[in-house]
Amino acid sequence: MASAIPTLSKIGKSIRLNKHGCVNRPFYHIVVQKTRDNFDGPVIEQVGSYDAMPNSQNEKLVAVNFERVQYWIGQGAELSGPVAQLLGLSGFLPIHPTTVIQSWRNRREPPRERKLQPIKGVAPPLDNPKI
Amino acid sequence: MPRTAGVNSSALFVLYSYFIMFARSSNRIFNVINTSYIPSRGARAWVRKPLGSPMAKSKLFRIPPKKILPADEKAEIKRLYDNYFHHMKSLRQYFFEQSLKQAESGEVAQMKHKLEDEEHMKLMEENCLENEKTAKLREERLKVQAEKTRASVLASLIMKEEESRLHEIQIEAFLEQQKATPFIQTENIEKAIEEALANPFDPNFAIDLDGYVYRRRETSIGKIPEEARERMSSI
Repeated sequence: MASAIPTLSKIGKSIRLNKHGCVNRPFYHIVVQKTRDNFDGPVIEQVGSYDAMPNSQNEKLVAVNFERVQYWIGQGAELSGPVAQLLGLSGFLPIHPTTVIQSWRNRREPPRERKLQPIKGVAPPLDNPKI
Repeated sequence: MPRTAGVNSSALFVLYSYFIMFARSSNRIFNVINTSYIPSRGARAWVRKPLGSPMAKSKLFRIPPKKILPADEKAEIKRLYDNYFHHMKSLRQYFFEQSLKQAESGEVAQMKHKLEDEEHMKLMEENCLENEKTAKLREERLKVQAEKTRASVLASLIMKEEESRLHEIQIEAFLEQQKATPFIQTENIEKAIEEALANPFDPNFAIDLDGYVYRRRETSIGKIPEEARERMSSI
């Protein structure tokens, strides 16, 4: 189907998560990189961070520089799946389909025991002092 | 020999499994070109199993069950993805336009515009001054040119008048001369004919090797008297 919206040229750059942190302690940088570079390689710009481990308030903290993300998306940078999901959840972009699909699959599955209880509403503080 | 070979291969296998675990220190083994795989403490890169390595023995006869999605779910997923990419496309375009607008409205851009405008005004003033200067020069030049042209036209006119006057004089002289020449008129044509018949004129002549000229039909030197002999002088 023909679209009235012109397609931006691909610039071979993507916004993605780079894994930092250490063993059993995931921490991600949201970075702009050339698509062919790996996470050791040069980073063009860091536009945010994502702490995948819940803190004492049972929160996973995400920091995003929306101005720069907007700029880079406007320039034609690709988004990796996780980053697209994070931005969708933050309300900056439309909700990513993966989020929706995962949510309905989770609802359909029989409840199983988890280390952490799923967060509903405002997250209560955790009982586990280690986390 | 075969025994040692077997030992070697088992040792290699051990090495191989070691390098699978510590993939970052194995760039030479796996021909990883990127030198950023140099071993370091901390995070280790995931490295692909080498090409041609066999399937794990424990997984050899495992047939993974095929995931079958119901048609309605598939259609729903497709719809979701289509919508998402459609939205993203227009958002991308919008962000691009925003970036353009920001580039225009930024402080640096405005400064640049202001500087450009000032430069333009300055250049225009300079251009005006230059134009005035050239206009003045042109006026002077044209004045001189006009004076010169007038003088040359006048001179040429005078010359032409003089020439026409001379020409008229010449024509008058020619006419006088023509009038003076005794042409044969119709009244006296009879007389002229008679005169011509009475005085026949023979233009023939000859010259001998000594330079003597023989007029008319006379070709013998003895018949011409001494004083009437005509001789061409040598050059």
